[in-house]
Amino acid sequence: MSNAIENLPLQRKVFLTLLLVFAVFSALSYAILTGVIAPAFDDLDLSAARTNLVRAERAIKTDIENLEAITADWGPWDDIHDYARGINPGFRKGNLDRPTLTNLGLDVMAVYAVERELLWSQMRIEGEEHSIEELGIFGTDDPAYAVLTAHEQIESRTVGIVSTALGPMLISSRPIVRSDDSGPIAGAVIMGQFMNDERKARLAERTEVDLHWRSIEDFSHNHGIDPLAIADRNVHLEMSDTSVSAFVALSDIFGESLLVLDVWTPRQISALGEQTVNAAMLFLIITGIFVTAVIGYLLRGWILVPIEKLACHMVKIRESGDLSHRLELTGDDEIGALAAEFDNLTSEVHEARKALLLQSFKAGKADTAAEVLHNIRNAMTPMINGLERLAKSFKIAEDLRVGEATQQLSDPDCPPDRADKFIQYIDASFARVKAVNDEASEDMKVMQSQARQVEGILADQEKFANVAPLEEDIVVDEVVGEAAHVIPKAAKDAVDVELDEGLMRYRVRAHRIGLLQVLGNLILNAYESIQRGSKRRGRICLSASDTLVDDKPMVRLTVRDNGSGFDEDTSQRIFQRGFTSKSAGSTTGLGLHWCANAVAGMGGRISAESRGMGQGAEFHVLLPAAQGG
Amino acid sequence: MTTEDGHENIRVLIADDDEHILDAYREAFSEPESTREIRALDALAAELFDPDTDAEETPHFNVVACSQGDEAVSLTQQAADDGEPFDVVILDVRMPPGIDGVEAGSKIRELDPDVEIIFVTGYSDVPLEELQRRIPPPLKLHYLNKPLSFSQLAHDVASMVRSH
Repeated sequence: MSNAIENLPLQRKVFLTLLLVFAVFSALSYAILTGVIAPAFDDLDLSAARTNLVRAERAIKTDIENLEAITADWGPWDDIHDYARGINPGFRKGNLDRPTLTNLGLDVMAVYAVERELLWSQMRIEGEEHSIEELGIFGTDDPAYAVLTAHEQIESRTVGIVSTALGPMLISSRPIVRSDDSGPIAGAVIMGQFMNDERKARLAERTEVDLHWRSIEDFSHNHGIDPLAIADRNVHLEMSDTSVSAFVALSDIFGESLLVLDVWTPRQISALGEQTVNAAMLFLIITGIFVTAVIGYLLRGWILVPIEKLACHMVKIRESGDLSHRLELTGDDEIGALAAEFDNLTSEVHEARKALLLQSFKAGKADTAAEVLHNIRNAMTPMINGLERLAKSFKIAEDLRVGEATQQLSDPDCPPDRADKFIQYIDASFARVKAVNDEASEDMKVMQSQARQVEGILADQEKFANVAPLEEDIVVDEVVGEAAHVIPKAAKDAVDVELDEGLMRYRVRAHRIGLLQVLGNLILNAYESIQRGSKRRGRICLSASDTLVDDKPMVRLTVRDNGSGFDEDTSQRIFQRGFTSKSAGSTTGLGLHWCANAVAGMGGRISAESRGMGQGAEFHVLLPAAQGG
Repeated sequence: MTTEDGHENIRVLIADDDEHILDAYREAFSEPESTREIRALDALAAELFDPDTDAEETPHFNVVACSQGDEAVSLTQQAADDGEPFDVVILDVRMPPGIDGVEAGSKIRELDPDVEIIFVTGYSDVPLEELQRRIPPPLKLHYLNKPLSFSQLAHDVASMVRSH
C-alpha cells in the first residue's frame, strides 16, 4: 500500500495529501462542534427550563400570597368579627353579596363562626353558584375541614393547595379577630381559587411559560416514573428532541406532595446552536475546499508542474541521450533557478561529451595505430635480420675466389701440389656455396612465415575494426557538426561547410564513434576532392531526409561537394578495397572501403554518385531511424 | 672484461616478449658458425691468396634472455649479487602482461647505476625526454626503433663497451 502511494506521481500524491488533510480537518471540526459546542447549547436549554420552572413555581406562590393577603384583609376586621358573633347581621347584606367573589377574584368563600358553624358560603363555577359541599373538603370527617374552619391562635393561618372533588384549589383560612388583631377569635374566614385551565392560562400569560399541573399519580403513570421519585421536591429535567420538560412536586396544606408542576421549554437555544453548528460546518467545508483548491492550484502551478516538466526533461534526456534539448522554464523562483542550473549543467555535459567523444575517437585511433605499429615492427624485426643474414650469405659467395683459382689452375706453370690445393679450394667453395644456398633457402622459408605473420596482424586489425560496437540513438546534427571539424582550420576560408537546418530533426540508431568516423571520412574526401578539382570556392553541404527501405524507416545522410567528382567507372569501384582516386602520397584516412563496411555493420548502406569529372559528387549514407525518432 | 683465452666477454641481458625476436637477438649476439669445412676453406684461401691476412677479432657476448620486465629486474639483481653485473641491458618497452620496459629499466637503474640500457621497441607511448628524466644519466640510455639490424646492434654494443 505504502509502496503504491510512493510510486504515485508527485502531483497525485500532493492532491491525495491535501484531500486527506481536508478530510481530517473536517472530521476534527465536526467532532469539536458536535462534541463540545452542541452540548453547551443543551446545557443552556436545561438552564432555561430550570429558570422557567422556578418562575412558574414562584407565580403560583405569588397567587397563594395574594389570596392570603385578601384573607388578611377580611380576617382582622371588627365588622366581620361582630357578624360572626351574631351582633352585626347587616354585614352580610352590605359585604357578602354576589359581586364580592367576582370583585375579589375568588371562586370560593366561606365564613364560619366559632364551634364551626357555617354562617355564610358561596362558590361560583363558570358564573353558576354551587354549594361548597361539592368540594368534598368541608365535611366534618374531611381532614381539611378541621384545619380550615377552626383556629386556636390569633396568629393561626392555613394557606396552600388543597385537593378537592372539583380539582386542586388554592386555599387560605384565617381566624376572625378584631381589627387590632385582638381576640377573642370569633370564627374563620376561608377563601379559595380553583387551579383550573383559566388560572393556568393566566399564569402562562403572566410568566410566558408553558406550564401544566397534574396529580402525581397521573403524571407518574403517563411518564412511567416512580411517584416516590417525583415526590422528593427536587427539580427533574427531561429532554426530548424539541423541548425540555422541567417538573417539581407541589405540596398541599398538609405538606404532602399533591401535584406535579411541569414546565415545557422549547429547545430554541439548541435549535439555534444546531443551526450555528451546521452553518459553521458548511462554512468550514466551503473554506476547506476553497483553501485546498487554492493551495492545490498554486502548488501545481508553482511547484508540481515545473518539477514534473523537469523530471520529464531528465527522463527524456536519459532515454534519448540527447543533451542538446533545453528545459527553458521561466520564473525567477528556486525551481526556475534549478531549471536554469540544470540547463547549464546539461549544456556543460553536452560540451564535455563532445570533447570526450572527439578525444576518445582520437585516442582510439592513436591506440589502434600504436598497437598495430608495435606488432608489425616486432614481426618485421626477424625479417630484417633474416634479410641481413641472406645478404651476408650472398656476400660469402661473392667473396669466394673460385674464378681466380680456376684461372691459376689453367696456368701450365702451376706446380702440381698447388694445383691440387686449388682443386681442393674449388671443391670446398662449391660445397660452401651449396651450404650457404641451403641456409638461404631455409631463411627464405622463415621470412615467408614472418611475412604471413604481418599479414595476420593486418587481418586481425581489420576483423577488430569490423566488430559491431554498441549502438545508440543519435541526433544527426550533433555527429555531423563534430565530424565537420576534420577539415583543417587553415582550409576553413577556402571551403564553406553548410549544415542543413533539418539535420536536427533526425535521429538514427548507430554507433556514435563509427558514424563520426564515417562522416569524418566522407567530409575529408569531399575536401580533398575540392582541393584536387577546380580553383573555384569549395562547398560541402550536409543534409538529411527520411525514407522507407523495405518498409523500415531509414534516415538518409547526404554529403555533397563541388569537387573533382568522378566518372561512371569510378562510381562502380569507389568502395572496393584498395581503390583510390587520390594522388600518391595523400592521406587516405580509413578509406571508403572501411566506411562501406562500417555502415553495413550498422545495418545501413552507402552509395556515391557524380555527374562526371569536375561535376562534384554526392555520398549517401542510409541508416536505420531511431525508434520513436 | 676478457675471457681466459684473451677474448672480450660482454655480458648482455635482453628482455623481449616476442620469442622470434629473442631468437634473432641470440643469433646476432652469438659467435659466427665455424665448422671444420669452413675453417679448412678459410685456411686454404689464406694460404693460396692472402698469406698476410689476420682474422678480425670478434667480441664474445654472454647473452641472458628473458620475456618479462620483472624477470629482467631479478636477473640484474642476481648478476650484481654474483659479482658479475651486466654490461648492457636491452629492453622492449611493451611486454604484457607484466611491468613495461620503462618501469623495469627504472628499477634496473636503481640496482646498477653503471649499466648501459638500450630500449628497443616497435612503438612507445613514452617520449625519449621522459625516459631520460626517469632513467638517468642520459649518456647511459639509448633508444632504438624496430625493425633494426641486430648484428649491427651487436656491433654497436661491442663498440659501446670498448669505448668505456
